[in-house]
Amino acid sequence: MAGFIIRRLLLLIPILLGVSILMFVIIRMAPGDPAVAYLKLSNIPPTPSAVAEARHTLGLDRPILSQYASWIGNAVKGDFGVSHVTRRPVIDDIMHFLPATLQLAGVALLFTLVVSVPLGIWSARYKDRWPDHLVRGFAFVGVSTPSFWLGFLLVLLFSLTLKWLPPMGKGGWQHMIMPVLAVSFMSLAINARLLRASMLETASARHVLYARLRGLSDRRVERSHILRNAMLPIVTATGMHVGELLGGTLVIESVFGWPGIGRYAVTAIYSRDFPVIQCFTLFLVTIFVLCNLVVDILYAWLDPRIRLNAEAAL
Amino acid sequence: MRGVLVGALLGIAATIAPASGVVAQTLNFSWPANVGPLNPHAYAPSQMFAQGMVYESLVKYQPDGTVAPWLAASWTTSEDGRTYTFKLRDDVTFSNGETFDAAAVVANLETVMANRKSHDWLELISQFHSVKALADFTVELQLKDPYYPLLQELALVRPVRFLAPSQLPASGNTEEGVKAPIGTGPWKLVETRLGEYDVFERNDSYWGQKPAYEKIVVKVIADSNTRAVALETGDIDLIYGDEGPITPDTFARLKAQGYQGEISPPLGTQAIALNTNKAPTNDLAVRQAINHAIDKDTLISTIYHGTQTRADTLFAPTAPYSDVGLKPYGFDAALAASLLDKAGWTLAPGADFRAKDGQPLQIDLAYIGTDAVMKSVAEVLQADLAKVGIEARLLGEEANAFYARQTDGNFGMIFGNTWGAPYDPHAFVSSMRVPAHADYQAQLGLPDKAKIDAEIGQALTSTDETKRQELYTDILTRLHDEAVYLPLTYSTAMLVARDNVGNLTFGATSFDYPFADLKPKD
Repeated sequence: MAGFIIRRLLLLIPILLGVSILMFVIIRMAPGDPAVAYLKLSNIPPTPSAVAEARHTLGLDRPILSQYASWIGNAVKGDFGVSHVTRRPVIDDIMHFLPATLQLAGVALLFTLVVSVPLGIWSARYKDRWPDHLVRGFAFVGVSTPSFWLGFLLVLLFSLTLKWLPPMGKGGWQHMIMPVLAVSFMSLAINARLLRASMLETASARHVLYARLRGLSDRRVERSHILRNAMLPIVTATGMHVGELLGGTLVIESVFGWPGIGRYAVTAIYSRDFPVIQCFTLFLVTIFVLCNLVVDILYAWLDPRIRLNAEAAL
Repeated sequence: MRGVLVGALLGIAATIAPASGVVAQTLNFSWPANVGPLNPHAYAPSQMFAQGMVYESLVKYQPDGTVAPWLAASWTTSEDGRTYTFKLRDDVTFSNGETFDAAAVVANLETVMANRKSHDWLELISQFHSVKALADFTVELQLKDPYYPLLQELALVRPVRFLAPSQLPASGNTEEGVKAPIGTGPWKLVETRLGEYDVFERNDSYWGQKPAYEKIVVKVIADSNTRAVALETGDIDLIYGDEGPITPDTFARLKAQGYQGEISPPLGTQAIALNTNKAPTNDLAVRQAINHAIDKDTLISTIYHGTQTRADTLFAPTAPYSDVGLKPYGFDAALAASLLDKAGWTLAPGADFRAKDGQPLQIDLAYIGTDAVMKSVAEVLQADLAKVGIEARLLGEEANAFYARQTDGNFGMIFGNTWGAPYDPHAFVSSMRVPAHADYQAQLGLPDKAKIDAEIGQALTSTDETKRQELYTDILTRLHDEAVYLPLTYSTAMLVARDNVGNLTFGATSFDYPFADLKPKD
């Protein structure tokens, strides 16, 4: 198992290297000049000499290969350069904004699981009866609702009309309710629907029939023989949700004025802040890869067949 | 189940007290980013509005375009226009108690001059030759050439404002940063929470009229919808700004709900540049027809909800040197059509758009695709132009790509703004001589472009007031008669405030925020 984890972690190196090259080239191919964007932010008219000066200050006047070489050289040492916009080291900014995002995404993930699993079970238990219809309808609405739109609706209801919740900013737990709801709604709906399908599929398997024949109670069959086996797709989906939730914070943090890396990254994209975009992309890639790894490990733990196969292969 | 969930949440929410009440004497404002390190001689990430709260200039720009004494109590100019002698006020201290004197002015100006390259965009800095202290409160500024807009540009928020000398870095070079943002202004920056807010407190030792508010909290809100909601819930008390802090329809909605909402006098002009160097806008008749074809009043009432005013000339007549009696191109679709007919742009039977010698009357209109207001304006222009047989092809692009077009002249029509007070008209016409500007590109096809450029140069260095006015009259008349621009609206700053904010006013330029004039109200 340890060998498996180490191998997978080592694989992260070529992945990150490949992504960094791709991304470095792609963001420079997009229209728009970071030097001009910087001047606009500074309210300086972009005269040719001002643009040239800004390019030089931002280190963009060197050949792309030399830019990449020095950037990757420093990045390996944990130095991702200085943001064009905030003029602070990118890594300091990211570390400053990261905890708020992790807090938001973490609570959202927890909320997703705590709500979606019972919903999925409930729906499967009462297949084709009203709880099932309700959950399926809810899932349908969930996957079709853009998070920022839901965010505005929530604000309209809870902040403007009812005046119960603060519309923006970070503070007590009240500040978290609406961003968490908005960002997790889609993942939650997908998860509930997925668990329902998976449980129904497992319920028709032979081992479930035998369990019933053995006279086990419905509850026991559901818990020990259906749910456990039906959890595998949920584990995969949850791995993806971590990425989705972190990506979802890009939009939601702007809507709710949440001081996290999502809003920071959006600002960076608007102002062509290359060092920030580069660091943020690598960060997201790392998260995705690590989540996949965790999912694979959980798989092995949940499903002895995978674990035994893997051990046999060693 | 969903009902149960929502119900449970409502139950939780019901136990929460409403958002905390507004503390009297504190004004809550918002801005898309933190105010930054507030280095008076540097640009982004230091935010101009906040630099203007902490630092002050030698002279102050007035709404009528003249300048008034400020940190400088008076000044004299030498005969040749190259030497300015400023007599400073002797009762001014920085917010840390240091005296503001000639030595402080010299220390600040020297570091600005040492970093000329960073301030290259501003003619004033290139014109600085030297500065010296003649007495404790007397400073002499030598210029390379006479430059009449010197006083206007000295009023700018940056880079000629003054940091307490003790806060300069050891090298004296502010390009390396400042120790702490200490200025002479009415406000002091006391706290910054990255991504959350900045707090300013009143400078109680301020030499001038002290602000009525004790504290200003500037919350970081990037999204304009979120900003409007924050006003409605009382999280902020004031929305103010010239670059669309909220959309015009939100402004109209908030005003209809009973919030105080006001629009400033013209600050600058939104004008479309028509490319004289590219077919078919290289034809004067086409440019004139475009000017007659647009129904600006309807545009303003429908899209801007009355938040801007109609512009008939490139600069508002209220701008310095700009009241030169130009005759507006009025809205007259029939006249536009007849101008086109006369010039040979005719409508074939059954065709929607005109053509001349097989060349269709088709013009690319470049705008920023992500800017909802600009997009709507572009669509209205397209519709108005179609009515007279001109086909405008909309070219909505991402902002940076749009700016690239301004620079390389690859457009038929393109949105643009004059720079506003105090840059209008001198700095804006000055930029017309620079190839990287849409204005230069648009004017390239004019037969008298060289003459216009020469006259601009003369107007900027002339020391004779009458001569200068003559030059401006000629430049502005030529540009107007050649119909190089389609002036649309005079841009304004907008202000929306809750009932607890009183004495609402506007700053003289879009960079002056009138926080010191606002007063709390019950």
